[in-house]
Amino acid sequence: MKVNGIEIDDTFAEAFGMAGTGVIITADTMKWARIAAVTMSGFGTSVIGAGAEVGIDRELSPDETPDGRPGVRVLLFGFSPESAAAQLKTRVGQCVLTSPGSACYAGVDTKKRIGLGQGPRFFGDGFQTSKRLGKSRYWRVPVMDGEFVIEETTGIVTDAVGGGNILILGNDRVGLLETAEAAVEAIGGVADVITPFPGGIVRSGSKVGSKYAGAIASTNDAFCPTLRGRVKSELAPDTIAVLEIVIDGLTSDSVAQAMKVGMKTVLDMGAPKGVTRITAGNYGGKLGQYHYKLRELLP
Amino acid sequence: MSGLTFRANSAPSERLNLSHLTPKRIAELSQSELMALNVGTTTKTLKLGDVFTVSGSAGDSVRIEGATNRMDFVGSDLKEGTVIVEGDVGLSAGRNLRGGRLDIRGDAGALLGSGISGGEILVKGSAGSLVGGLSPGDKFGMTGGLIAIDGDAGDRAGDRMRRGTIYVRGRCGSFAGSRMVGGTIWTELGFGTDPGMLLRRGTLIGPSVERMLPTFADAGDHDIVILRILSRYMASALGSAAPKALPGKVRKFAGDLATIGKGELLITS
Repeated sequence: MKVNGIEIDDTFAEAFGMAGTGVIITADTMKWARIAAVTMSGFGTSVIGAGAEVGIDRELSPDETPDGRPGVRVLLFGFSPESAAAQLKTRVGQCVLTSPGSACYAGVDTKKRIGLGQGPRFFGDGFQTSKRLGKSRYWRVPVMDGEFVIEETTGIVTDAVGGGNILILGNDRVGLLETAEAAVEAIGGVADVITPFPGGIVRSGSKVGSKYAGAIASTNDAFCPTLRGRVKSELAPDTIAVLEIVIDGLTSDSVAQAMKVGMKTVLDMGAPKGVTRITAGNYGGKLGQYHYKLRELLP
Repeated sequence: MSGLTFRANSAPSERLNLSHLTPKRIAELSQSELMALNVGTTTKTLKLGDVFTVSGSAGDSVRIEGATNRMDFVGSDLKEGTVIVEGDVGLSAGRNLRGGRLDIRGDAGALLGSGISGGEILVKGSAGSLVGGLSPGDKFGMTGGLIAIDGDAGDRAGDRMRRGTIYVRGRCGSFAGSRMVGGTIWTELGFGTDPGMLLRRGTLIGPSVERMLPTFADAGDHDIVILRILSRYMASALGSAAPKALPGKVRKFAGDLATIGKGELLITS
């Protein structure tokens, strides 16, 4: 079917169950809260290669943070609570503890908890102290600009979703990128989701397996425009670029909502920018338990 | 909020033990069992019906009217619900409180909230010595929860306290936080002499100290993030009765260096 001149494939995005957690990072200014959050999110694109998928959910006003300073909520997704906890410990220890003026708090409120400050507190070398206020326990780790405050635990969601996606195809690479950027920005307004790839956009969609031993994934040749004619291409003759937006969310509903918002943006502005088609990545429905049918998510 | 009201008929002839008067305990009793409860502390075996007139029906709260400072252990072992006291209370009010709220609309005697591990104790007037402190036979004083006192607190508030928060809108007496192992004591009008004697960990906050122990070391002026969290916690716990948020910068004194010295005395002015 076509909407606003853009073809929408009768297919679905196939996504997987993941463990999702989150933290709130605060600092003296939003600039420094964001620096810590961006640093922590770095190299957090694909769980397969990076160990976790990490990104900024949203910025928080001082009224929304535990210490009344500007903050940023970061979400982190892993294969299991254990792997997510290990990634969280490393990333907070290396990227948030080290960032001037920072503090770090639970960003997900669930009964099931994983350690947050339980590792970084040992940086205090015995000078660390803790304070329990209400139900929360906070560690105070002495550092060179004062104290690094970190909450002892954060929540973990065991039925989070990773790998919601839309693929945008077109005949103008620059226009396609501008459209994808706008879609990512719109998805930024949806709560509890991240788009973990650079700027929220992937240009290197992958297929499972490779001709080379040891590589578990390789380029998705059917969607590579320069291979048209050499492989069984999925692309029309005028398609010169494909960009993908991958979405992880704490709930299936949030992923569906993010896909819906992203598709609406593409449909609203894409045609004049050279967008010709929207499709989605799947594995025939055999690998992932979450299926998001594009035509059911049309605005 | 429904519950029974206990109105004292006259001033009690002996000290009373009112530890039975919590919503959960009295809900398990028939009217006759309730009136036959032994609340005396002498061989006279004074019964509840001899002292109080009871009205209302069992619910999630208990109200005690006409209370005096001869009524001890009010609200002790409370786990949920509310105990409201119109008047003063005697020793060990809120002893071992684990949840719920004890609302004392008068003064409290010594050992208010000893052994409390959760919940809230609010006192409209002042409290005696050893608020949240150690009772004989216990290992620690207060281990959680919140005690908020509108008036003053006596000597040795928070003695061997381990966790939780004591907020005193007035002044703390001498030796506040003695032998303290953790937690927070916050006074709006200052500490008496020698706060934090043998303090191991924990935080004492106030605008002034009458006499500082020589075993506290000046660590300078600091903007301490945890105080922002403390201010927010108090605002959420006490609502409109919460204190004004703590100032950005406080002067920190580390101590007691006669012990492990991981505690702190923070001067707010």
